[in-house]
Amino acid sequence: MTDAQLALEEKRDQLIEAMLPHVPFDGWTRAALYMGAEDINLSRKEADRILPGGPVDLILQFYHLNTVKMNQELAMLDLPSMKIRERIATAVKTRILLNKDQKDAVRKAMSVMAMPQNAIHSTKAMFSAVDAMWYAAGDNATDWNYYSKRGLLSGVYSSTLLYWLDDKSENHQATWEFLDRRIGDVMKIPQLKAKATGILNKLSELPKLRRSAINRMKVKA
Amino acid sequence: MMTETKKKLGPKYLPGDLSPDKALERIIRVDQAGEYGAKRIYQGQIDVLGDTEIGPTLRHMQDQEQEHLDYFNDQLVKRQIRPTALTPFWHVAGWAVGAGTAMMSKEAAMACTVAVEEAIDEHYAEQRDRLIAEDREHEMVETIERFRQEELEHRDIGLDNDAEQAAAYPLLYQAISKGSKFAIWLAGRI
Repeated sequence: MTDAQLALEEKRDQLIEAMLPHVPFDGWTRAALYMGAEDINLSRKEADRILPGGPVDLILQFYHLNTVKMNQELAMLDLPSMKIRERIATAVKTRILLNKDQKDAVRKAMSVMAMPQNAIHSTKAMFSAVDAMWYAAGDNATDWNYYSKRGLLSGVYSSTLLYWLDDKSENHQATWEFLDRRIGDVMKIPQLKAKATGILNKLSELPKLRRSAINRMKVKA
Repeated sequence: MMTETKKKLGPKYLPGDLSPDKALERIIRVDQAGEYGAKRIYQGQIDVLGDTEIGPTLRHMQDQEQEHLDYFNDQLVKRQIRPTALTPFWHVAGWAVGAGTAMMSKEAAMACTVAVEEAIDEHYAEQRDRLIAEDREHEMVETIERFRQEELEHRDIGLDNDAEQAAAYPLLYQAISKGSKFAIWLAGRI
């Protein structure tokens, strides 16, 4: 991206940040955007120029802002010293906690993005969110694992996010336990895979067993 | 000189063209997939012909493909570019092409090498020219050019080992060459 594009992107993020407190009342609408713009002394015209479009465009920009902020926070932590599992859990926690005071905005965003006509946008947004997490975790897969890792994490992340929306426990404790269990589920997959491979290997030995059984019968006869 | 002045005519980009960033993503993705496929083709040939006198040559070529693959793997990770989603398919298809031609004959295996490497050569040359025309990614241009020279060496090894003596050489060559080009087209996109 050129410098001009980066500067524009930054302005958009600032505008979204200013808009957030108004979202619980007015939703992801232009009205909320204009109120946010007023708070940071931007005219409506300027807001229209920087961020045109409807709710989906505003929400996608909100997700982009989340990714930027998550990357900033993760960069301050010592991720390489952690195990992969911890790195991923930290990334999910960090991303969720970015909006701990904006639960309503997150909820409203999710209900807009859950509408069928927005399925493509929300899939793409989910992919870029989990991709950023894996990138921060130092993932270097370049084969099919690249996709399975992101697919599994999107299941973990989206279910944790939904759980968090209704979590009333202190310091989101219940959510983090839920997250741990989900990651635990995913960690079972390699074990299941090993088991399946074991069974398949045994199956491939069946013809041999049959042959030796026939031979034994022949000896007896 | 003629070609240079010719290229300056008309707009640099047309509607529907990929942005330079997207184009570069596609270049790296397809190159990684290509090197992966090439490695698998040689693996298929080694599995069949590994113990013959051609074995060491095949291994040498595979080692070079591995080096190329490592470079593009590295680029994918560093630049946060998604790899091709068809890896499992290249894994099987590459091996099958290699082993299949190797089972026909040693000459057919070499014909396969000639066809694949020539397609890759053409493709690398195109990427190099494009990046030079846009005057960016100088380090990558040099690397691609070095890889292209090595792919050409592989083609020459194939020709020196009687590739053209293979049964139905023109047919085999065309089939594999078209197949490689289709794979290149697909790998950048999916």
